[in-house]
Amino acid sequence: MPAEPIDRTVLPIRRPPFGGAVKRTLAGSVPDWNQAMHVQPPEGAPNVLLVLVDDAGFGNPSTFGGAISTPNYTRMANDGLRYNRFHVTAVCSPTRAALLTGRNQHRVGYGLVSEFSGPFPGYNATIPRDCATLPRILQENGYMTGAFGKWHLTPDNQQGAAGPFNRWPTGLGFDYFWGFLGGEAGQYDPLITENQKTIGVPSGSDDKPYYFPDDMADKTIEWLHRIRSQDSQTPWFAYVATGCSHAPHHVPREWSDKYRGRFDEGWDVMREQTFARQKELGVVPTGTELTDRDEAFESWDSLDETNRRLYARQMEIYAGYSENCDWNIGRIIDAVEAMGELDNTVVIWIWGDNGASMEGTLTGTFNEMTTLNGIPLTAEQQMGLIFKHGGLEAWGGELMEPHYSCGWALASNTPFQWGKQVASHLGGTRNPMVVRYPTAVTDPGGLRSHFTHVIDIAPTVLELAGIPHPTQVDGIEQEPLHGFTFADSLSSASAPERHTQQYFEAVGNRAMYKDGWWLAQRIPRIPWQLDPEVLRKFGAGWDPDTDPAELYYLPDDFSQANDLADQYPEKVAELQALFWEEAERYNVLPLLGGLSSFYGIVPPIPNESKFTYRGPMENIAAGVIPHIYNHSYTISADLIVPEGGAEGVIVAAFDHLGGFGLFVQDGKLIHHYSMLGVLEYTQESDRPLPSGDVTVEMVFAADAPKPATGGEVTLLVNGKRVGGGRMENTVPARFSGYAGMDIGCDNGLVVHRSYADKAPFRFTGTIKHVVFDIDPDLSEADAQTLNEHAAQALAAHGANA
Amino acid sequence: MSDETLDVLIAVYLIPDLAKEDFDALVKLIEDKTVASDGVVLVHKDADGVVHVSETGDHLGRKGVKVGGGVGLVLGLFAPPLLAATAVGGAVGGLVGKFARKRVAAGIGDKMDDALPPGSAGLISVYDHANADIVDKTLANAIRTSTAQIDNASAEELKAGLEQAGSGLAG
Repeated sequence: MPAEPIDRTVLPIRRPPFGGAVKRTLAGSVPDWNQAMHVQPPEGAPNVLLVLVDDAGFGNPSTFGGAISTPNYTRMANDGLRYNRFHVTAVCSPTRAALLTGRNQHRVGYGLVSEFSGPFPGYNATIPRDCATLPRILQENGYMTGAFGKWHLTPDNQQGAAGPFNRWPTGLGFDYFWGFLGGEAGQYDPLITENQKTIGVPSGSDDKPYYFPDDMADKTIEWLHRIRSQDSQTPWFAYVATGCSHAPHHVPREWSDKYRGRFDEGWDVMREQTFARQKELGVVPTGTELTDRDEAFESWDSLDETNRRLYARQMEIYAGYSENCDWNIGRIIDAVEAMGELDNTVVIWIWGDNGASMEGTLTGTFNEMTTLNGIPLTAEQQMGLIFKHGGLEAWGGELMEPHYSCGWALASNTPFQWGKQVASHLGGTRNPMVVRYPTAVTDPGGLRSHFTHVIDIAPTVLELAGIPHPTQVDGIEQEPLHGFTFADSLSSASAPERHTQQYFEAVGNRAMYKDGWWLAQRIPRIPWQLDPEVLRKFGAGWDPDTDPAELYYLPDDFSQANDLADQYPEKVAELQALFWEEAERYNVLPLLGGLSSFYGIVPPIPNESKFTYRGPMENIAAGVIPHIYNHSYTISADLIVPEGGAEGVIVAAFDHLGGFGLFVQDGKLIHHYSMLGVLEYTQESDRPLPSGDVTVEMVFAADAPKPATGGEVTLLVNGKRVGGGRMENTVPARFSGYAGMDIGCDNGLVVHRSYADKAPFRFTGTIKHVVFDIDPDLSEADAQTLNEHAAQALAAHGANA
Repeated sequence: MSDETLDVLIAVYLIPDLAKEDFDALVKLIEDKTVASDGVVLVHKDADGVVHVSETGDHLGRKGVKVGGGVGLVLGLFAPPLLAATAVGGAVGGLVGKFARKRVAAGIGDKMDDALPPGSAGLISVYDHANADIVDKTLANAIRTSTAQIDNASAEELKAGLEQAGSGLAG
């Protein structure tokens, strides 16, 4: 390496000037081996293991007094530090964007999630080039960088083979990525992406289903072993973002059965017990009060016995799912320790990108997509559908995609109010963090109560690595980091608290923190309600300053139990004014910019209406599957059927809890459509498929271009009608949060269970091509209406993802 | 059997032991002669998918008159393949009463077997329509119930009634 110090403030770091000499031949030429060297991180720079758990609350892990056993988290905390005033953004992608850039989420385009790229700077879901990411900075400084698990920072419609790839993990600073690009995945049937290719749904082995959390740990360990087999010195940065504990709540029974009966006393008792343990552990200060349960949540005492038993099982599954997460992260830590590198690794483990999710509604749901499609189901309907899809024993298994009741989410967020989405309150924004780094920590097992925020991670890691924040990356001037380092707090509980002011905003819920004071303004909307009727009141005429204001003084009121707004109206006004200043500065405006489609601001009508898949094609990501929703469409396929017939899947999208497929079974052409597992429709040809060149078509003639429209299905073979039937209701917004589409087979969970034992049920003839024609010859007005609905659906999904 | 209209009821449960509570309550009403019933049966499919006929009530007979050997309605309602999986499977034959044999002919047992997911339970009862309200209140833990009315307890009527009741559980 060059003798003179490297200028790390301008990235990429330029190769040093040639220090040798060149003659016409090697004779007399002087070499300079620095020409062949790569940049190395500063001497002593540590490895960094950054772990982010999904959709979990302050009161979940036992490390912070929760009911879920997290021995590995506790081990890290006992060797390191617990931070009990650490904050996130209250929503998924925004927290990840803030974490990886060190900037406020709106400033980097992530006021909402990656499913919806909106038309305002704070909501375009596109990390700007003047905010280079932490992994990019580390990478350019010589670190080896890998990301594993959930990503959720690539816009939905950019997740296909055509990219673009500059917002994929490998475009944002990671050498290697293995995981899933979207906001969630089935833990038994995730659609896996590796680097820049979506590679498929893995299969289980030894008669056991595949399980993503186990594989994610394996893949992380394998990467660490692989890089170390080549390079034993260079530090690494591993970002491990678990799919757990986001819905669907999936876990093998051996994990959930540990919790049988543990939650029979209900969420109100769980809150009290968790709170008592938190006080005992000291993670909440003496004098903290347990907040009241808002009347939006049901009391446990008001429930009948069947509901209690159902809900208790929901939490048993969630707890087992979370404990497995702890176990798998523990395996990664064990591997690092076995490599002899644990003490030279900064472990930062954040338990939750937002507070626990309330999107299961009051009842919990057998299929989380029902909520996201705006399909309200009563408790009785939910129970009937649970029964239909395998009963309570199937909750947590492969065939359901469940989410627990919001009552458990509230208990998971003990001692706070509310949860995910609710950026105005600590239930949505305050999560546990543990940091282990023996080089710096002088009081292992200690507690830190500095006000810290997810944007503080990047500056802290950079300081510990001895790397400056660059002023320029790729020739582009860089926005300064918004966060503050808390590196000195590792060695000193009395280190100064630098982060004294912070705005919060998500889906209109907002807060302004300054010097201990916290102004909370929650828009008057129950977090699991996103239907247009509810949102309409926040359109024209809405004055956000008239939303109810609550004021808390956190040094005296850790949990936000005592609203002081009436006593300090001048403080309310001061913080309101400060919020608007910050909101303007960081692109928070316009409020609800991520939901603009609900208020008449819709994206241009897509110009792609015909999609051709030539030959078999597998693992097409959910975001780029043709949008067949709410209008007429046709799926056609040109096939070669051998003498004696063929069988198998022509096209299958998503799964039996929401999906559609066209397949041949017992010689017949069959179309199956699952309306989220609530309703199912099947049409079958009245005669066998002929051999030779065959064209099959499925024509859906919608009653009207409107959300969830019914319509008539016609099956045609070589232009002749061979079958059909009516579908009374169709999926209005989105079949699945993660499952993909295949041409010529059905990977992962199948669309129609009749061929599950033959999955992936490959087509035994030849598929020349499959064509989706989603241009239903709409009037311009109808097209605009549907486009508006599609945008709303994406935004609504995004708010919940 | 009387000439009164009969209700054929199917109730399904997510929680088997709550089904048992309801079953016991209904049996008690029958024993007390509060409800006039031709029988009540509770079927439980355990977490591994094994079917258990936990209890039967047919031994009570109508109006509390004890007849038969205790498994009549069960044997009647459930076809041999299902019975083979139950503890009482080997008892088929001499214990089957006249009414139960009619139900055998109705052949709805397999349907119940298919309909129950592991870890759930189902209850079927035939009783005087006049007792409908009290039976409904008694089966408080059922997540869904569906009833059909029949004019007599012939195999054909029973089959039709059960199918009608079964279709009412869908959706």
